[in-house]
Amino acid sequence: MNATFQDQMALSPAAAPSSVTREPFAFTGTAREYFGIWIVNVLLTIVTLGIYSAWAKVRRQRYFYGNTHLAGGTFEYHAKPMRILVGRIIVLVLLVAYNVILTVASVYGIIIIIVAIFAVPWLIMRGLRFSVRVTTYRNVRFDFTGGYWGAFRAYILGGALIYGTLGFLAPLASQWIWNYMLGNLRYGDRPISCDPRLEKLYGQWWLPAIVFVLGSIAMVALAIAAAYLAGAFLPEGVLDRLDPDNENGFPIYVLVGLIYLGFIPLALMYMLSALLYRAGTRNVALSETVIDGRHALSSQIHRGRFAWIWFSNLFVTVMTLGLARPWAAIRMARYLSVVTWLDTTGSLDSYVSGLRAEGGATGSEFLDVEGFDLGF
Amino acid sequence: MASETPALTGLWREAGQARAKEARLEVDEAFIAAVLDAEAHTLATAPLRDADVSARIGSIARRVTFPDGSVFETKDNDGIDRLLRGAGSRTAGVVSGLEQFRPRLIAFVLLTIVFCVAIYRYAVPALVEVAIWATPPAVTTAISQSVMVSLDNSVFAESTLPEARRKALSDGFSQLSALTPRGETQTPGSPAYTLNFRRGGSIGPNAFALPDGTVVLTDELVELAGSDDEIVLGVLAHEIGHVDHEHSLRQLYEAAGTAGLIMLIGGDIGAGTEDLLTQGAALVALSHSRGAEREADRFSVELMHKAGRDPAAVARFFELLQKKLGDTGSDDFLSTHPATPERIAETRRYAKEIEAAGK
Repeated sequence: MNATFQDQMALSPAAAPSSVTREPFAFTGTAREYFGIWIVNVLLTIVTLGIYSAWAKVRRQRYFYGNTHLAGGTFEYHAKPMRILVGRIIVLVLLVAYNVILTVASVYGIIIIIVAIFAVPWLIMRGLRFSVRVTTYRNVRFDFTGGYWGAFRAYILGGALIYGTLGFLAPLASQWIWNYMLGNLRYGDRPISCDPRLEKLYGQWWLPAIVFVLGSIAMVALAIAAAYLAGAFLPEGVLDRLDPDNENGFPIYVLVGLIYLGFIPLALMYMLSALLYRAGTRNVALSETVIDGRHALSSQIHRGRFAWIWFSNLFVTVMTLGLARPWAAIRMARYLSVVTWLDTTGSLDSYVSGLRAEGGATGSEFLDVEGFDLGF
Repeated sequence: MASETPALTGLWREAGQARAKEARLEVDEAFIAAVLDAEAHTLATAPLRDADVSARIGSIARRVTFPDGSVFETKDNDGIDRLLRGAGSRTAGVVSGLEQFRPRLIAFVLLTIVFCVAIYRYAVPALVEVAIWATPPAVTTAISQSVMVSLDNSVFAESTLPEARRKALSDGFSQLSALTPRGETQTPGSPAYTLNFRRGGSIGPNAFALPDGTVVLTDELVELAGSDDEIVLGVLAHEIGHVDHEHSLRQLYEAAGTAGLIMLIGGDIGAGTEDLLTQGAALVALSHSRGAEREADRFSVELMHKAGRDPAAVARFFELLQKKLGDTGSDDFLSTHPATPERIAETRRYAKEIEAAGK
């Protein structure tokens, strides 16, 4: 990892600044076109009791990759649906086995959880490798060379660090994760480096941290105020009806619904904080990513705009019972492409694929099924 | 044939190489495809059926990969489909044909909604029944034993009830369990239901059943009932009802089935929506567990009546709980068995109905 980085440091100064060309990413998918693909995907997935979901994934990925343009070329997704299906079945069997063993032998639960903790980095490593190796740009494959312990550090130690320090060391975990994900990439046989600096990541940490703390304080104050006002102004008897043992009380789903309603602002605030952080660290990490020591990626997400798109997407999707999902997905892809570009030095034509087998899809489907966000 | 299909223009690349050449694709009468450059030099050629043509998706570029690994890329989707159909392919563009933005997509939306409802209402419950039927007894035994061991290690202490009281309750329990569907086929060596006495500690006055028929009763609950064995048996009959209806297995499989369904379409609905669905499923599971409580109440009424005991005993127990504990909101029987007035009234009404029918 370090060796490849030094290679590039040695190469970079050689590039003359005058020959730098700014190549923007462009996304050309449309909501109209994707809606058809999406609804057929969902319908066939349901009709086939999930089997088609593998084909659906390939069509979805191919649509998004194929519509992502850079410097006159497009990306391509080459995974075979059969591979994905086998991977999904294996993951499903593993998850069922994991849960059955946890239930049947809860006495040994701690051992099983430890085994799972050590298995996860392996699955992540294999998952990243598969997803990356089935991706080409201009007919040249990407490769992923990350190992087990890199994944262990980034995802297990990093995860423990975030929770253990209440988020104070989150930037360090982010540094490990981005360095693992992007720093182990290769385009063809040429290395890609990604070394986001810690102070820059901390620069993106303050705002979400403040939003989180101030938001939490505001929520608690609001809850106390609401309870006080309710006690003072609501007609006699309404509050008593909230008691689950009250004869004329509200039905239980109203009570549970009210509890959820109380949690929604809290959850939204937490999401806002997470989105600001995610957008900020993506900017830092991508902007410190260099391909072949010559072509520098750059990301300039506006954090507020990103959060707005995310929230309004979710809102519209829920309000339309999911039917606006294609529009929302296209809208986000478009925005991310607009704020990302590549500063190239020299030609993108001279690259050649390294030939590596991509391996099984189990890891990638594990990431998929667990909703693991690669964050690209 | 070749004259009918005009050449397709696009880019050609050698295997694994980024550098592209402007080229055109032609197919002759024998369906041999050839890629030619501007000077009409052949760059790649193969029978069309040996070339791998990527499926049409939206309007993204199509790739024709030749056996030598070189790739011809074109945006002329219609042209490629014409070629494939000309060569006799029937499946070319079937799925992408369905995906076109046409009025029939409205029908697909409606079908999707209908199927979602049907799966949720019929397929999941049916699969749950199959799963319960297919679960070997060894698994339910293992689950139950392991739960017992965990609780014994963490929460429970040995029962301190007098021997005579335990004997009386155990006899009543045996009488009840012999009258259940499982009890009728049990052998003396392996009873369908076993009663275990424990001091509950932090779980207080409580009783619960494990899927293999192990029923646990805490000393605290017996003490709460005072000298009234009938009340305790009413509660035990309720717990037997949970086992008889296989509630714990059913809830386990329902949760797993719903989670599996949500996961499968997760990629198509986005992470935020997936989280919301998962939360919604938790709410639904909660309402199902209420239904399970009502079922067990009715079972208790029926079983107690069959045994010639007070069918309303379980209702009396809830009243007692309410009177003695109020709503302390602690981690006791009430938190999983809310003694709502509706529930007591319904149980009493059903007990009367059963008694009237019995006479």
